[in-house]
Amino acid sequence: MPISRIHSYLVYPSKNEESQPTPSGTEVEDSKLHRMLTTLYDSADRECDIPIIFRHDEDGRQQNPCRELIVAYVQKPTIDRGRRLAERLQSVSTHRSGLGLLFLIVGHDGSDHRLVLSRFPADSGVIAEENAGRLSVDFIEKVFMKNVKAYKSALYAHGSLDAGFWKGFAVDRQISGPHEMSEYWIGDFLQSDLRTTAAAGTKRLATAIVGAIRSTDSPTLKSELIAAVQLLRNQTGRRSARRFLERLGISDRAFAAIERGYSRGALLDEPFQIDADELGRHAAYRAVELDNGGMLLAEEPRFEDVFKRESLNAERVRFSTEGRIVDESLRKTK
Amino acid sequence: MNNDLLARYTDRYTERLRPLAERLQTYVSECLKGLPRVDRITARAKTPESFAKKAAKRTSDGRPKYSDPLLELQDLVGVRVIVFYSGDVESAVDRIRRYLVPIEHRRVVPDSHWAFGYAGLHMILAVPEDVITDEGSRPELPDFFELQIKTLFQHAWSEANHDLGYKPVEELAPEQQRRLAFAAAQAWGADREFKELQAELQA
Repeated sequence: MPISRIHSYLVYPSKNEESQPTPSGTEVEDSKLHRMLTTLYDSADRECDIPIIFRHDEDGRQQNPCRELIVAYVQKPTIDRGRRLAERLQSVSTHRSGLGLLFLIVGHDGSDHRLVLSRFPADSGVIAEENAGRLSVDFIEKVFMKNVKAYKSALYAHGSLDAGFWKGFAVDRQISGPHEMSEYWIGDFLQSDLRTTAAAGTKRLATAIVGAIRSTDSPTLKSELIAAVQLLRNQTGRRSARRFLERLGISDRAFAAIERGYSRGALLDEPFQIDADELGRHAAYRAVELDNGGMLLAEEPRFEDVFKRESLNAERVRFSTEGRIVDESLRKTK
Repeated sequence: MNNDLLARYTDRYTERLRPLAERLQTYVSECLKGLPRVDRITARAKTPESFAKKAAKRTSDGRPKYSDPLLELQDLVGVRVIVFYSGDVESAVDRIRRYLVPIEHRRVVPDSHWAFGYAGLHMILAVPEDVITDEGSRPELPDFFELQIKTLFQHAWSEANHDLGYKPVEELAPEQQRRLAFAAAQAWGADREFKELQAELQA
């Protein structure tokens, strides 16, 4: 995957500022920094693991201002064309985001054009230099890559600049979880959305759990999976299915049963937000508790088939059911 | 178009695109499950003949329109959703957008307010990862597919129009053009009447 150009720009936080400074840019020549950025470029497939997609314009046309700048840069990677991307990033950077250093790394992977965009935040530090036995120390404010693991990045690769470069992958290593994303990087700068919507990710997970519930004969596993559905409703934030399930502390056996419901293991790592309504559509269980202490539980769509209900008077009902006992246990509650 | 490209497409059509169309039909059906007044959901992969015709298109100045049709054509696989009334189109769109992200979303209507002809809602959507069963097949699968949502009457008109020759409208005699436009206007009017009737009866 040879690199053809690396450009770098100093990006000031200038969102809503009337006067926008012109980002200074330079080409990164062969150096220790170049080698470090080559590592970043080579590992982007692994690091950038959140699928994103450019938004269409307000009229629904296949036009996106950020994509157009990216395609123009990849077609002809000059400092000026790259600066337009830096200006775009600058115009959405708030003081909270702070000063940043943007790298544009362009190259090829076989017949595919390939571009990695990375932004490193500014930090401060102390520089110490020895000269003829004398030590001088100084405080500097524009230090970048103090933590080479704290950055935002995006990867685009496609064989066609006309039809491709709509889908990409991103990562934000500056916030807590590996699959969290800042709106600033994805929504504002790249003008993109996550490819896995809340409903799509939830549907995928719910379908896998329901499949696991239906396919197991183990009442213990069934109970654990049904409990997982209930607990997932309260999960917030954007995480992968794997992370959601880890947070619930489900057993390895339950995890393996759910994993079998995914067409590919990689889908377990795509981040999304839980959509409680969607969860209810695909994995709904109706529980009825009676004043005599009785409790009934069944899948929502099948509840009326499983339990026959008779109204005895305005308040009282009788439920009846018939089947082979597959599990009977005594459970203690706290 | 060269024979090698057509042979490659024909293999891809059989091995990859037709099975993909079936999986997309299932996926879209699941997304629309429970939505009232969805008449049918169908899917197709573009036939090799149709691919050859489109791939060979040229621009107005005579240059090939597509430099790499396999990469550039975004409707190699298409899904069509037919709903009862025009108000149901938006319901279907809202439901689809819950699950899939479009890069294009347009209402296809005749160019002039005075004209009647093909109408429908077209979206270009990213192929969902759920329908990619084998990572190794990805290079031979398209990134996008086309989704059309039409009413019964829009669908009926476009099918009849297609069956009657599917020629550019300019090649028809003026009287024939007027009759096609008349039929399209009737379909438009029927959609409008049913939409209003539905609203009145549900009020």
